[in-house]
Amino acid sequence: MRRYLLKRLLSALITLWLLATVIFLIVNVIPGDVGRRVLGPFALKEDVARYNHDLGIDRPLINQYITSMRRLFTLDFGHSFQTKQLVSKMIFPALFRSGKLALLAFVLTIPISIAAGIFTARRQDKLADRAVVNVGLATSSIPEFATAAVLMSVFCVHWRFGHVFADPPPGTSVIGQLRYLLMPALAMAIAYFGYIARMSRAGVIQGLQSDYARTATMKGLSSGAVMRKHILRNSLAPTITVISVSVGYLFGGIIGVEKVFNYHGLGSVMLTAVTSHDIPVLQGAVLLVGIVYMISTLAADVLIAYLNPRVRLEGTR
Amino acid sequence: MSDPNATNPHSEVVSTPAADELVSLTPAEIGMSGAVILGERQQARRENWRLIRRRPAFIVGVFIVLVWVVCAVFGQSIAPHHAFDEYTTGHLSPRAGYPFGTDEIGRDVLSRVIVGARDVLKVAPLGALLGVLLGVLLGMVMGYLGGWIDLVLSRIVEAFLALPVVLVALLAIATLGSGTWVVISVVAALFTPIVARTVRAAVIAERDLDYVTSAKLRGESSGFIMFREILPNVMGPIIVELTVRIGYAVFVVATLAFLGAGPQAPSPDWGRQVSDAYNSISAGIWWTTVFPAAAIASLVIAVNLIADSVQSVLEGS
Repeated sequence: MRRYLLKRLLSALITLWLLATVIFLIVNVIPGDVGRRVLGPFALKEDVARYNHDLGIDRPLINQYITSMRRLFTLDFGHSFQTKQLVSKMIFPALFRSGKLALLAFVLTIPISIAAGIFTARRQDKLADRAVVNVGLATSSIPEFATAAVLMSVFCVHWRFGHVFADPPPGTSVIGQLRYLLMPALAMAIAYFGYIARMSRAGVIQGLQSDYARTATMKGLSSGAVMRKHILRNSLAPTITVISVSVGYLFGGIIGVEKVFNYHGLGSVMLTAVTSHDIPVLQGAVLLVGIVYMISTLAADVLIAYLNPRVRLEGTR
Repeated sequence: MSDPNATNPHSEVVSTPAADELVSLTPAEIGMSGAVILGERQQARRENWRLIRRRPAFIVGVFIVLVWVVCAVFGQSIAPHHAFDEYTTGHLSPRAGYPFGTDEIGRDVLSRVIVGARDVLKVAPLGALLGVLLGVLLGMVMGYLGGWIDLVLSRIVEAFLALPVVLVALLAIATLGSGTWVVISVVAALFTPIVARTVRAAVIAERDLDYVTSAKLRGESSGFIMFREILPNVMGPIIVELTVRIGYAVFVVATLAFLGAGPQAPSPDWGRQVSDAYNSISAGIWWTTVFPAAAIASLVIAVNLIADSVQSVLEGS
């Protein structure tokens, strides 16, 4: 087990390093003068030069690269161009706020998706199965911001349920905050329902057709017990994987949802950084999402290895 | 639906040209046995195409996509009003004459939705197609040549996959500007590694088969083997990837437009319309947001229904 974990951790670190390199390349090696493009054709030459100097792109590329790698491992992302604040002071609280939203979205979507996966797997190719699968396919293909806008129109404005501005006033209780976060979280939950339900359906179908399930049924277990004790545990692995991958991808959709609901999370910080060309903030935020993704996939692999001895033993052979 | 065993006289006529294009004549296939293989392949393709066409999801998807393609091609000439003219003072809710209502400066929302189809239908398929072409190229090289090239490229691909497409796109757009061609190239560049991974896996499955070995013994060049021998045999996964990518490209392009990249202010692009109008939902003006959002949803769902049908038949799920 330990050997498996070390191997997995090492590969996560290598991927993270490559990721940071890719981000570095996008920002630094794209041809042309970043300062000139950001400040526009009418900016003074000195301003452009100062901008490039602040960005550090007038230094040799290798020095810049070393700096950005050091930043990756010290989580020091430099200062914002716009607010002059430390980038880490801006993005960590924002990540926390987005995390609350994401957590609620997962709490809403995971139990329902897994239940739907089991429900449909048992009725494979019947009408109910086709209906749920197609609805899942449809809802997971709609961009989150579009779902969010429609939800807002229907629930927050028409039925006066939930809030148009998802930022709870300071001092709101946890329960009170839920009311604010419910609608944006629901918009994301709807998007992830299809993916997770599909994965758990596939896993359960595979489990139902397996020899061990047949054996368990033959020895007289009820179908509920076969499902609970044998199939679910085995079919959970692909579901856990897809959930962990969604944790990273969630930050793609959260930007739109935060914009619709005027929520001040990481998405809103990134969007502000895009419009004000605040590259250090943007770079730090994207890297942070990459780190979150690495941690969540690593956690998923550990969990799968814990559930399934075949996975963790493979590494020791 | 007609009897699945009945032969439809039109089906042969419709499917033959498409099937012919996909068949490449390689020297190995010319000759008696070659003709048989060729016939079988063609027959299998015709059969797949027949199975795809029979799926209700495919028919619904194609119908919706065609409606939007017609809107995109004819645009202003089939719209009831001019997309940029102001007809009413202030917004009107949906009513006879303006079935989707008018926006805050009195433009007809229905006409803007019709005309706005063009932007997304131009950018998304182009980005997806470009991404698939590059991905096929990269995946071919990785899968066929293998070795350290494959090792290094695989790790870089993995790093790319760790980030949500929308996020990296925002990072690139912040440094490159937000023009249409930037959006197209960014979508293509981000899809390339994803497609490459699929193609690489398919090529590795083919690489050691007899027909490749015999082509090598004939002394064919790597390029010939990759693109004339292997490529026709991995067309299935590539076609699946293309349809899936087009759906996802619509998703990404619409999201980016909503976030401010791509078509700018007076443009009737759907994502742009939602972005311009979503703030007035809280005042009860839902139609300026909901109709373009629903248009995005319907297009993405339709493309995904097509992609799902193609995938189910070609991959047999």
